[in-house]
Amino acid sequence: MAVDTNMPVLVVDDYKTMCRIMRNLLKQLGFDNVDEAADGAEALEKMQSGKNFGLVISDWNMEPMTGFELLKQVRADEKLKGTPFIMITAESKTENVIAAKRAGVNNYIVKPFNATTLKAKMASVLGDF
Amino acid sequence: MPAFDVANKIRDALDDIKAADLDDPRLMEVLGLAENLVDTMKLFFGSMDHSLLSEFKHIGSYISRTRDEIAALRPNDIHGSRIPTAGAELEAVVNDTERATESIMTLAEDIMSTEATDLETYKMQVDTAMMNMIEACSFQDITGQRVSKVVATLTHIEERVSRFSEVMGVMDAETPMTDKEKWQAENLLNGPQIHGPATGQDAIDALFDGETSEAALGQDDIDSMFD
Repeated sequence: MAVDTNMPVLVVDDYKTMCRIMRNLLKQLGFDNVDEAADGAEALEKMQSGKNFGLVISDWNMEPMTGFELLKQVRADEKLKGTPFIMITAESKTENVIAAKRAGVNNYIVKPFNATTLKAKMASVLGDF
Repeated sequence: MPAFDVANKIRDALDDIKAADLDDPRLMEVLGLAENLVDTMKLFFGSMDHSLLSEFKHIGSYISRTRDEIAALRPNDIHGSRIPTAGAELEAVVNDTERATESIMTLAEDIMSTEATDLETYKMQVDTAMMNMIEACSFQDITGQRVSKVVATLTHIEERVSRFSEVMGVMDAETPMTDKEKWQAENLLNGPQIHGPATGQDAIDALFDGETSEAALGQDDIDSMFD
């Protein structure tokens, strides 16, 4: 089934510039319906408010709620647990990657990354687009 | 007056009383005992004065050396000038990079949203935007200089603190983490590694593609899980 590029995508990062970069990259990939959150708590609130996000792309290092905690909360929520989730971090220690994988992350991108990497990871999670 | 001198004075007073040629033998006996007591006191306080003086001299010299070493640290200069300047430089770096990123991103977004109906106009707009982007990249030269100044300040502080620690034989004390530090240590990652990512994108991809299992990770990977 073809990927619906109009689906809402939630970008979670405490750096506004990073959110803007992600928004532009996603736009280039055809995804115009992008929402932003500055930390896990704000993201969870947006997800629980009823908007059906087709993908979450989240940073790990955020306060007060980290991306890892957001991932665990999403996977523990009956309504949200199926939401595709990609983690993007500047640090990539193996134990963190494994912890995220065990918590149910669908893919993991190391910063800095480019549009090609982002597209490839999104395709591996959502299917080709 | 030192105790040794006091004892001498008492001894002199006793000698004066004895010289007065007193007839009462009991009084002479008391004076004899008092003389013995004063002589003993003289010996005791004499040795005590000497060792105390030596201790105080040692403590005084240590305090003086500590004061000299603290002065060499130039704490007022570090606290009043170097650290605030370094902080201001870093703040300027953050602002400069943010401003440059903002400019470059806005220019790129403008180009992307420009209609390419008239190719000549479009080329002119793209050329202008590109020139502006190149200009915006000049922030790197300034931020490089600012960061160099901060590095020089850190090196200055490090050298002085290391010397102070070495000379004074300072040992690191255990300091408990604050609640915020504990939370950050348990929940946040350390950020970008100095020599690139600890685990490369290819290794992560292999893990997610099922080409590598957790069990097939190298010893270094396993060690890092237990470090």
